[in-house]
Amino acid sequence: MVRPSQPVLNTVGTLARLGLAAVWLVSGALKLADPGQTLIAVQAYEVLPDALENVVAIALPLVELVLGLLLLAGLATRWAAAAALGLLVVLIAGIAQSWARGLSIDCGCFGGGGHVAAGQTEYPQEILRDTGFALLAVWLVVRPRTWLSLDGWLARGRGNSGEPGHDYSGIAEGN
Amino acid sequence: MAQARGASGDKRKWIIGIGAVVVVAALVIGGVIWTISERDKTEGQIIDPGKTTSALAGNVTQKRDGVVVTVGKAGAKASIDVYADFLCPICGVFEKQYKGQIEQAINDGKLQVRYHMVPLLNQRSSPPGYSLDSANAALAAADAGKFLQFHDALFASQPEEGKRGYDKAQLIELGKNVGITDPAFAQTVNAGTYEQQLNTAFQQIENDPKLAQDFGGGQTGFGTPTVTANGSIVSWQDPNWLTKVTG
Repeated sequence: MVRPSQPVLNTVGTLARLGLAAVWLVSGALKLADPGQTLIAVQAYEVLPDALENVVAIALPLVELVLGLLLLAGLATRWAAAAALGLLVVLIAGIAQSWARGLSIDCGCFGGGGHVAAGQTEYPQEILRDTGFALLAVWLVVRPRTWLSLDGWLARGRGNSGEPGHDYSGIAEGN
Repeated sequence: MAQARGASGDKRKWIIGIGAVVVVAALVIGGVIWTISERDKTEGQIIDPGKTTSALAGNVTQKRDGVVVTVGKAGAKASIDVYADFLCPICGVFEKQYKGQIEQAINDGKLQVRYHMVPLLNQRSSPPGYSLDSANAALAAADAGKFLQFHDALFASQPEEGKRGYDKAQLIELGKNVGITDPAFAQTVNAGTYEQQLNTAFQQIENDPKLAQDFGGGQTGFGTPTVTANGSIVSWQDPNWLTKVTG
């Protein structure tokens, strides 16, 4: 069996990192831009007490943007990816419980959200899409080494030789 | 040599670390402040009474009966029922689009309108309660003979769903600005006098099969705005719906 070379794996990781960064930056920005709609989207899940719905509606877009920025910069990639994975699991669980309880909502994943007509739910697509994003996060948790990352730049500065080193375990710790 | 590089690497790490913390903190603090101020932007605003275009003819009456307000001249042949919520965005669209035509038809003595204020979205403001507060205040304005002016001003400066509505003090202020002088108005707004009746009427409206619309996907139910004429729902998306009703 031929193992893909390190540069190839780095390239795959870079695409995963930038892709996931784009997802969070776009979804966070759309949510932040419309705070009223974001609150309605959170309320539609009907899982949180009112006070917490407010907190989540304010915090979620900002958390998404922070994750997006960290991934874009490639800073603390493994931790950011792990946090992204955790968040995606929570979001998928939220969508799944709405589906299971027979609510008719739009996930509001990329802005919008709230109640929709019964025939207009898209739970399977939404869960599938988020699962795809989660796989990107899994890749980066397992192998956070990528091109064009602050992590890599910092690791080089630490004296791990100029080239992206062969032992990337140290880089993963970089935060 | 390796020593020196290690030292400069540590320094870089610090700089990047501090830079990242600063950027993240600025984003989070700025984001929270912006979000809250955006949500609460109606706070301290004076609702513009001047946006009301309703120059109603002298013999147009505005009469409250329970929680329904009838606006029109005696002897108008056609009549419609409008079910709306002051927070509902599509109701705002409906008002913007047809307010002029409806009020013209009222002035011409062709049309009577029965306005039903429905607190459908009472949970959808932050804090909740604007739908009911505004509906109650509109009924109080009807008692003072200024319903339509009050109604039009609220729709013209409609707050957004998920955000702060207007509080009772702002609604009372608007009442004064549309010309209500009776002190009973403020009392009725503050006491929420008609809230119970509004909720009861809303339940009946929600369960009325004649008011149920088809939302597609096998889902039917009541939604706002709903317009009926002669007991059946009018499709107001048709731009000529009103002339069809008034003939």
